[in-house]
Amino acid sequence: MSETEKFDAIIIGAGPAGIACAYTLAKAGKEVLVIERADNPGGKNLTGGRLYTYALEMLEEGLSEEAALERKVTHEQIMILSEGRGTTIDYFDSGFSPYEGPPQSYTVLRARFDEWLAGKAEEVGANIVCGIRVDDVIEEAGKIKGIIAGDDEIYSDIVIAADGVNSFIAQRAGLIPDIPASSVGVGVKEIIQLDTSVIEERFHLQDGEGAARMILGCTEGLHGGGFLYTNIDTISLGLVLMPEEVAAAGKPVAELFQEFKNHPAIYPLIAGGSTVEYGAHLVSEDGYHGLPKKLYREGLLLVGDAAGFVINSGYSIRGIDLAILSGIAAANGICASSDIAKAGPQYIKEMEKLNLLPTLKAASGYRDLLNIPRIYSNYPYLANDFLGNLFTVNGEVAAPMKKSLKALLKKHNISFWQLFKDGLRGYRAL
Amino acid sequence: MARIVACYKWVIDESDIKVNPDLSINLQNSKGKISDYDKNAIEAAVNAAELLEGKPVGLTFGNSKCKASLKDALSRGLEEAYFINSEKADKADGRVTAAALATAIQEMGEVDLVVCAEGASDTYARQTAPRLGACLDLPVISSVNSFTIEGKTLTAIRKLDDCLETVKVELPAIIAVLPEINHPPIPGLKAVMNAGKKKMVEFAEADLKVDLNPKNQVLDLQAYVMERKNIVFADGELTEQVKNLVIALKKEGVI
Ligand SMILES: Cc1cc2nc3c(=O)[nH]c(=O)nc-3n(C[C@H](O)[C@H](O)[C@H](O)COP(=O)(O)OP(=O)(O)OC[C@H]3O[C@@H](n4cnc5c(N)ncnc54)[C@H](O)[C@@H]3O)c2cc1C
Repeated sequence: MSETEKFDAIIIGAGPAGIACAYTLAKAGKEVLVIERADNPGGKNLTGGRLYTYALEMLEEGLSEEAALERKVTHEQIMILSEGRGTTIDYFDSGFSPYEGPPQSYTVLRARFDEWLAGKAEEVGANIVCGIRVDDVIEEAGKIKGIIAGDDEIYSDIVIAADGVNSFIAQRAGLIPDIPASSVGVGVKEIIQLDTSVIEERFHLQDGEGAARMILGCTEGLHGGGFLYTNIDTISLGLVLMPEEVAAAGKPVAELFQEFKNHPAIYPLIAGGSTVEYGAHLVSEDGYHGLPKKLYREGLLLVGDAAGFVINSGYSIRGIDLAILSGIAAANGICASSDIAKAGPQYIKEMEKLNLLPTLKAASGYRDLLNIPRIYSNYPYLANDFLGNLFTVNGEVAAPMKKSLKALLKKHNISFWQLFKDGLRGYRAL
Repeated sequence: MARIVACYKWVIDESDIKVNPDLSINLQNSKGKISDYDKNAIEAAVNAAELLEGKPVGLTFGNSKCKASLKDALSRGLEEAYFINSEKADKADGRVTAAALATAIQEMGEVDLVVCAEGASDTYARQTAPRLGACLDLPVISSVNSFTIEGKTLTAIRKLDDCLETVKVELPAIIAVLPEINHPPIPGLKAVMNAGKKKMVEFAEADLKVDLNPKNQVLDLQAYVMERKNIVFADGELTEQVKNLVIALKKEGVI
């Protein structure tokens, strides 16, 4: 390509959305340039993590077999904490790791995974340039025509903003406002190294199996929760919180995190491990409700987190699979449009085809459910107290269950009416 | 056209080096990079090439992974990159490195100036430039803090322990530069994109007909931990605490 020639597509950001798009376009013979600000793909990226394999398989059949992934998730867990106590529900499903075909999901570390995926895209001909931040888009006559990075301008038929949550590029292009603090959570996470055998013992895992755990009641009543994923020889442990609430509560996130790590039900899981990495990242919380009114304009498509494609259901966060899907849809939209001006509407159609928008819509109720403040303190504490009473034997005459439950509701400030309302709200949301 | 050669080393990124509890060193998951000081050498070579209206080229001696460095080096303003690919680079001593580089430089043809860093960020052995001078029978100026070139005369200011020395030499010559000599800019997008299209030449060990077996052998590599005394002066008034601190420091011979 000479200096004056332009690319078919420029993709900003080498996360899963950007790379999936680049991979699909390059395979279709398009001249693609991916620009990533980190020194390596994945270098600055943070996720919980788990990846649902169906998305990789959609990108290319068989891809999840060779992917740089950690453990196949066969144990789905929910943990409810309160001071000094914990309840863990452990759902084991061997069907999540079938004899034939890929397991449903794997735990994942992004630094490894993103770099591997980027390598695959390069193999099929995508150009990936790292260590460069895109500063702006080139706009001419109302159309996006290319990008600006430092002193350099590069033109392309279309630009794909895959630059993640709070997308600077989408803001520059006027598609989203600066994100209000109430619509994002902040995730903090540590990667804690332990021997493979120790991890398998502590979580009762067979060779290569993994656990994914969501944790409630570990945020001192603040809107948010914890997560834990077992990797090959590390554990990903983190908290997601709402920045505004944390600020109002006046306790630093780092302190909340330390207390979480030291909870007597968490500490034995990570004891003896050493923290090899830590980081923080934003995550959109509004799901379908938070999607920008327009996901494209002429010359520009938004994909992945830049478009707000995240489902936070309280028991799992999904964003990587949706990012990959949207990257594929964007590429298909571009390839199906002989007139590039039509790529935007075509992209939306492709997302319908891949079930992306319907999936987001179907999950749109979770936000209402997760906005019930009692989910973060009263209910988890109540659950543990109730089980505590159930299992307590101390020689005294136990109160009848009904009575004890009533007393507990009172202790936790929950009225029957509220319980009923929240239940109904939950039912409607689901 | 004048030819200026920047020699650089592909080293392990310090931030990826982990020390195991038994003090052995864990290089798992470590990535490579161009030695930070060599980025100064590359920038100095590019600047010298402007003064000489010549062509700046890069040369490196490393194992096969080092190939990844060529694009990075070329994005920093070099016009061609030469790479001596040998697994023996891992165990090379100063003599081997200089012999490999010197043979390649002779292979490349006429050269006006060779720029090295004073030392590499991993070993900082400071042997490459002087030994290269011996191999190629060229004058060497080390510890170069700044230089100018007029015609074929290079004038360098050397930064020594407590003085600055100005030295003049007729090219061809070799200089070893200090990190203070310049601030290498971060390559821009087009520079990075164009890097992949520039000329890259690879020498295999066999091409060079030079003995790459080291005479110095590294037998063991261990981290060491600084023993701290952890003395806290908490008793008495502040003035007394300071007095005790001073006494303790004197006893240790630090003041
Ligand atoms: C704490 C936490 C836990 C999560 N857990 C999970 C989980 O378990 N499973 C799941 O599926 N999802 C999870 N998610 C969501 C998931 O991480 C994201 O949805 C996903 O990473 C989105 O991918 P993306 O490619 O759109 O964006 P990103 O992965 O954020 O990639 C964007 C890329 O663009 C680059 N970039 C940004 N700006 C520029 C610029 N100006 N120029 C050049 N490059 C730029 C960035 O460096 C980055 O590489 C979690 C998120 C968080 C924060």
